[in-house]
Amino acid sequence: MNSIQKKIWILAGVVLSIMAAIWITLTYYNQKTMDQYNEILQRYLSMNEVTNASQQTVTSLYNYLLAPTEVNLTQLDTSKVRLRKARIAVLDLRSEESDFALTNYMNLIDSLIETTDRSLMFQSEKESEDSDKAFSEATRISKYISETTLTLLDNDLKTYDRFYRDMIDQSSELKKLGIWLMLTITFMLLLFTYLFSSSITRPILKLTQAARELSRGRFDLQVEVTSNDEISFLAKMFDRMRININNLISEIQQKAQLENELQQNKLLLRESQLRSLQSQINPHFLFNTLDMLSKKAYLEGSEETSDLLASVAGLLRYNLKRLDRPMTLKEEVRVLGQYIEIQKARFTDRLQFNMDIDESCLSIQLPGLTLQPIVENAVIHAVEPREDGGTISFRVFDSGERVTIEIADDGPGMSETKIRQILREDNFETESHSTGIGFNNVVKRLRIFCGLEDVIDIKSESGNGTIVILTIPKTKGNVKDDEALDRG
Amino acid sequence: MRKSIVVILGIICVILIYFTLVSAGKVFRSEGQLPPRTPVSEQPKYRLVLITQELDTPFWIKVSHGAMEEAEKAGASMEVWGSYGKNEEDFLKKIEIAIDSKVDGIIVQGLDSDAFKNLTKIKAAFNGIPIITVANDVPMVDSLRRTYVGSDQYLAGQMIANQLLADMGDSGKVILLGDSRNEYFQQQRLKGIDDILKNHPNIFTRYAETADTKEQVIATTQNLMNELPTVDAFIAVNANLAGAMIQEIGRRARVGPYFIYSFDDSQDAMSLLESGNLDGMIEQSPYDMGRISVDRMIQWLSGKTVPLNTEGYLTDIRMLRKANQP
Repeated sequence: MNSIQKKIWILAGVVLSIMAAIWITLTYYNQKTMDQYNEILQRYLSMNEVTNASQQTVTSLYNYLLAPTEVNLTQLDTSKVRLRKARIAVLDLRSEESDFALTNYMNLIDSLIETTDRSLMFQSEKESEDSDKAFSEATRISKYISETTLTLLDNDLKTYDRFYRDMIDQSSELKKLGIWLMLTITFMLLLFTYLFSSSITRPILKLTQAARELSRGRFDLQVEVTSNDEISFLAKMFDRMRININNLISEIQQKAQLENELQQNKLLLRESQLRSLQSQINPHFLFNTLDMLSKKAYLEGSEETSDLLASVAGLLRYNLKRLDRPMTLKEEVRVLGQYIEIQKARFTDRLQFNMDIDESCLSIQLPGLTLQPIVENAVIHAVEPREDGGTISFRVFDSGERVTIEIADDGPGMSETKIRQILREDNFETESHSTGIGFNNVVKRLRIFCGLEDVIDIKSESGNGTIVILTIPKTKGNVKDDEALDRG
Repeated sequence: MRKSIVVILGIICVILIYFTLVSAGKVFRSEGQLPPRTPVSEQPKYRLVLITQELDTPFWIKVSHGAMEEAEKAGASMEVWGSYGKNEEDFLKKIEIAIDSKVDGIIVQGLDSDAFKNLTKIKAAFNGIPIITVANDVPMVDSLRRTYVGSDQYLAGQMIANQLLADMGDSGKVILLGDSRNEYFQQQRLKGIDDILKNHPNIFTRYAETADTKEQVIATTQNLMNELPTVDAFIAVNANLAGAMIQEIGRRARVGPYFIYSFDDSQDAMSLLESGNLDGMIEQSPYDMGRISVDRMIQWLSGKTVPLNTEGYLTDIRMLRKANQP
């Protein structure tokens, strides 16, 4: 991972190395040029030195010939030494082109020294005429040396003319190069700095935007930062935080939904209780009256009426009491019997009720007042409106894991839409004069009780009656049955 | 916006880098042509100098050409020194410098003067430097030269006289014009001419000497023509005089009828022949002179041929005639 610090170091390093490279190159170049200048100067100085030294030698010789003293002799010697040194210095200037001229040059210096020596020798041998001759020759040679020096310098200038001009051109080129370099570096730095700064600020900008979106409550936008520094790390962390928050929120939402459903169930229960309470307004009065009527009918010898009244009272009590707790199928069937008795008194022969019950299945549990409203519904739709009455058959049988309860009538049947409405638990209008608890309520309670959707099914054909089928699991019922028994 | 900034900056950078590189290339490439300070690979065996008085004449250019080529072949280093237009003082100075420079050998155009002889006989001999004369000789007794390479001037004189006889016939008046310095080679030529013409008594010769300035030549030519109005032929024994002489003759009469002869070792000899003013000219072999002189010098220095033939090594001479020219 490239940290921002590393980036800054790299930028600084690049700039520094460019500067250093330029500095080194220019210094090296400068040094080289200086060396060249020095060399050229050295050439000219050493040639000039030869001229000077030769002239000095001749002068010293002249002085000595005029006045042969020790002082003049030493002076002559020193100038000869100087001349020899200058000769050695000239030796370095050899090159292919000037070789011939330089050899001549050095030989001229040798000749000068020899002639000087010869002049001294003649002087010491008192042959002043020969000495003078040698001196004049030395003077001539010295003159030749000066001339040759000039010629050599001239040749040098001619030979290196191009080179010298090149040097001048080069220095002006160097100036141009300096300007170009400065411009290039300036623009390159601008470019680099721009790229560099935006590589730092762009991710930050993105992060800021993401944070703003998050603060506005949009948790579904992904935070994307494609850099490779600390900012991208931050962004990743930020994104993880967003995902976590998102998950938490959805969890809370799910919980709330569950809670909602629970609440709804409770409300349904309340409703039924409320209904039952409403019907409890004067229950004792009603029970007492019904009992009293039953006894009175019995005493007056009308046993049938007495039994009927007792059935009504029993049904009413059950209705009021057993709404919120599970009951055994047996209990339900008993209440159903009481209800049928009452209805038979009402419809007499018009109502045919067939019952076919597997006794072994009666111990399963189901919510109270489940069967009675369904049968009531069948009575209302299949028997009541018809002149010649109808048949309702009730069957309970074992079907493996579950117990199937069938309530069939031979009425006009119901439409598909209606069936769907019922099974979807939509609210629909129910005809009045029911005992109070609607079909809808039954379906809901059954489903909640069993925890299964397919606990109820309705089959109907137009004109051929309706069959309501309840399939209730055995297991759950058994456990609850025990509890119910415990409570008495 | 961002992208366009980057693109523009990038383009500017690329352009600037290009110019910078071009500029840098200019600065650093020219450095390649450093002064040719190549050290001397090997010392040439011999250092020779050819010294002449007339550096600019075609004749001497050919001589130096031949000498240079031969020196290069033999691996000796060679330089041609000299004066322009017969500057004697300069010429002698060059010889002295050559001696003082201790060159290995001096090939020199002979000059029949005391100063020259003094230098070659005393100073060069003292320093042990061999001298070969070329084209113009100075007798060995006077110059202590090792040998002479060039034309046989006596023979040249005879050839010119024979040509004159063939052209003019057995009788006539001839003016011989020579340089007042009367150098050795001129004497030889004259001798050659005289030796032929003295056998023909009907030929009258008149020899005159003149200084080599143009005015003097013209004046002398005028005098001679006044003296001998019936002259038939002219011989410029010194080639340098031919130009001015012919110019003067042309001023007084038509040049055509006169028989005019000269030699080739002057600036204008060839052009005079080509323009038809000269009837005949002795052509020498300057290229061979240069070549052979260097060759002999190297032979002497390396000890192959010691001593050299003191009589000299003679090079070919031919008679060039007007008619021969296209």
